Amino acid sequence: MAHANSSFCGSSDHGVSRRGFLGRTVFAGATAFAANMRVMDALKNPCLAAELKRQQKSVILLWLGGGASQFETWDPKPGRLTGGPFRAISTDIPSVQISELMPKMAQRLKTTAIIRSLNTRNADHGGGTRLMETGRAMEQAVDYPDLGALIARELGRADSQVPDYVSMYSETEGRHKGGAGFLGARYAPTFLTESMIPPNIRRPDSMSEIDHQERADLQKLLAKRFADKRYDPSVASHGMAYERVRGIMASEKLFDINMEPQSARDFYGPTQFQEQCLIGRRLVEAGVPFVKVARAWWDSHGQNFETHLELCADLDQGMSALLDDLQQRGLLESTLVITLAEFGRTPHINASLGRDHFASAWSCTLSGCGIKGGAVYGKTDEDGHKVVDGEMKSGDLFATIFEALGIDHNKEYYVGARPIPIVDFGAKPAMEVLA
Amino acid sequence: MNLVRDLLTLSVGLAFATRLHAADLIAPELQIEQAVDHYVQSHLTERQVHPAPPADDGALVRRTVLDLQGRIPTIAEAKKYIESTEPDKRLKLVDGLLASPDFAYQFRNQLDDLLMSGQKGNHNEWREYLLKAVRQNRTWDQMFRDMLIGNEDDPETKAATTFVRVRAKELDELTNETSTIFFGVNVSCAKCHDHPLVDDWKQDHYYGLASFFQRTYVTKKNLVAEKFAGEVKFKTTKGEDKVARLMFLTGTIVDEPVVEVSADERKQRDEEVKKQMQDDKAGPITKPPFSPRAKLVEIALQSGNDQLFAKAIVNRVWAMFLGRGLVHPLDQMHSANSASHPELLDWLARDLISHKYDLQRLVRGIVLSQAYARSSEWSGSTASPSADLFAVALIRPLTPRQYSMSLRMASAAPETYKPESTGDEWQKRRDELERNCEGFAHQFEQPGENFQVGVDEALLFSNSSQVADDYLRDSSDRLIGAIRPETDKSKQITAAYWAILTRPPSGEELAACEQFLDKRAEPVAGLRQMVWALLTSPELRFNH
Repeated sequence: MAHANSSFCGSSDHGVSRRGFLGRTVFAGATAFAANMRVMDALKNPCLAAELKRQQKSVILLWLGGGASQFETWDPKPGRLTGGPFRAISTDIPSVQISELMPKMAQRLKTTAIIRSLNTRNADHGGGTRLMETGRAMEQAVDYPDLGALIARELGRADSQVPDYVSMYSETEGRHKGGAGFLGARYAPTFLTESMIPPNIRRPDSMSEIDHQERADLQKLLAKRFADKRYDPSVASHGMAYERVRGIMASEKLFDINMEPQSARDFYGPTQFQEQCLIGRRLVEAGVPFVKVARAWWDSHGQNFETHLELCADLDQGMSALLDDLQQRGLLESTLVITLAEFGRTPHINASLGRDHFASAWSCTLSGCGIKGGAVYGKTDEDGHKVVDGEMKSGDLFATIFEALGIDHNKEYYVGARPIPIVDFGAKPAMEVLA
Repeated sequence: MNLVRDLLTLSVGLAFATRLHAADLIAPELQIEQAVDHYVQSHLTERQVHPAPPADDGALVRRTVLDLQGRIPTIAEAKKYIESTEPDKRLKLVDGLLASPDFAYQFRNQLDDLLMSGQKGNHNEWREYLLKAVRQNRTWDQMFRDMLIGNEDDPETKAATTFVRVRAKELDELTNETSTIFFGVNVSCAKCHDHPLVDDWKQDHYYGLASFFQRTYVTKKNLVAEKFAGEVKFKTTKGEDKVARLMFLTGTIVDEPVVEVSADERKQRDEEVKKQMQDDKAGPITKPPFSPRAKLVEIALQSGNDQLFAKAIVNRVWAMFLGRGLVHPLDQMHSANSASHPELLDWLARDLISHKYDLQRLVRGIVLSQAYARSSEWSGSTASPSADLFAVALIRPLTPRQYSMSLRMASAAPETYKPESTGDEWQKRRDELERNCEGFAHQFEQPGENFQVGVDEALLFSNSSQVADDYLRDSSDRLIGAIRPETDKSKQITAAYWAILTRPPSGEELAACEQFLDKRAEPVAGLRQMVWALLTSPELRFNH
């Protein structure tokens, strides 16, 4: 440890670079594993942890499944026929108003950029979800990874001891696992649906800790004989997957909200969404690069206003507590919080006092890492029918997200001989929202 | 000017659409395996690479049974082969396996994975169709016809058109998946722009192919039907609006016979389509006189155009058994991505066409080749040779079904399964096994290019009650229950190795396992742990 200490706290030349781990391939198992253990130890040491925190970037995606209304959140149109009954309120940014349903966030826009000009054209739940998850229109014969997998690939460590893509989707509306597409199962999400902890993460009661460990050791020993004589990346990934089991199991405690003091739990609030925001913070703090917290039932074809009255209160509390907590822990500058849905809702208020699907002019927010707080990007017309300034497509949003995290949006992957840009062709980041 | 340029591009580009001069290929009368070994060996000689030695009998019988039966061999099957001293034992093994009931199941599953992977839902009738087709050795061109233009009034071919039915809602999906699966050509890039790297594929190709499917729809009664009229319009990269012509990938253009239709008639037809799409009591469908899908099938199989169709399936079957296509990736058959062994691909395609697209004949020839039978171990001092030389057997992940079935057999008491039993007995057993394994198989990903095992899989094996209570159950029908009464630990270990890995343990392995068992306070728990360590071995997870 002494050695690790000096390198972490000394010159930045010796600092642990999270990116440094990425360059290693799975074949460099032993070295990378050792290096990673230093990182784990480092987390116990405040000085080292601080160093790491500066370098580890993470994303928390708050996913508003079903499609939240931009009118009742980030782009209110008070006094207009399309505006609905709620007021717009002032915020901590003098020129910016948001819906009165988001009073806590109204005091926290210094951390957050609002994008009001999404025009994504797909107002179908399935298609819209895929579009906003992957940043591009679905294309036959290329299975695109979703944002979580891309971030896991870019910011995760090859041999990470924590999951690198956790997706919490407890509600059933629009539940979608997403996936790693051509990046491969290594970057597939740990998907939590029925339970607050990931499936199969807990040791069976019938087995002792020591038996579980020694059984794994025997497996590794016997597997080695086979793997050593066969140079094959798929075989290597098998070994790596089993090697990660113990570490992932150890991360069970990250999902245990009872380990947080009552004050922290009170700070976030009692709803499932708010508790999952807290779990999200615990995960990010432990080095998980991507966490998705889905909050569904926004699909308000009927009673849009009552629905948003209830759901915005949940969102406003959970999101603002998360931002505050991240900030207090010094994690906000390295954590990007994205609040996004598959689409927004129509300006037109239907006969059931609902708003329907609408993908032509809607909003999302980006907070924290790499983001210019207080920025408002793009503009819709006075009734919110269309974008009049700064139109943004899903690919542009993804380019902005990558740039905020310091990932070159011009990067390309190769699928066979075919270059696949990390964002859609022609997509450009909105520099105005980047810090 | 433009015309000249286009013609030039077409003739230069389509390497896979044309064939080499017959005189440049070795004799057509040769056995498939001879041709394979001739061409593979000549590349090795040219590069001065010495291939890996042949796999030993145990490894080869395991590999071949996995490939042709979709499961690991039983101990009896394996030992019979290993102990046989007959000089033609390999030939007998392969012919026996091809004639067994298991082959139909396995090859059906392989075709199902090829044709329907990624399609949600249960397609029982479709799977039944495939099974029957394999049992009858229905030729590939016949199956292609069944799938694309099968008669909707005949229950059997109606099951085959499931291929079109499940994709009919998405023109792009139907177009591109037909193209990648049957022609080995992924034209999706050419949807938005002429292919950036490959001269072969223009927007005209993409929309030309899509035109054959444009009129296809599914009625409310779930029947595949075609409209009387309809064309694909697209915007060129230069911004011009263009109407696509019916054009096959080779550039062959179809001119639809012009039929004068009155406005009233047109209206009436539109009404009927609407009714068919919305009303499950609509009467019989009026078939249009011109079917673009039927035309596509006709053109694709025409002599001269049939090279893509033949080479695509040769390449896919080759990849199923050798772990990598002669053209790699499998959907990139174009002039900028030449085959590793172009003459071999041509020879095999010629052979397939002249033998009426008999796939089982192709399978047999490939499996009997030396290239198929090499060891997967590379112990030379040099780096492992490039995969496209086929100098060493490539490792292939088991498909979810192969894995699930193999786990079930490996964890069963030896002699539970008797594929050698005659009559219907084994077939019934196999049928049952197929169904029982489906559920567990669903938890795994279909292996594709750059396949990786995810940590979810390792966690499932490490901690789920499913694995502990089923595969590791201490009951007389399971491996644990069967070897528990044995008091000699080395015999227990040896039995487990044979059941799971089709071989005896090495001295080192035996010592490691004995030492492990000696340390366990509770012997049965110890056995279960050791068997778990073998069931989770990459040696079971992969075909090697």
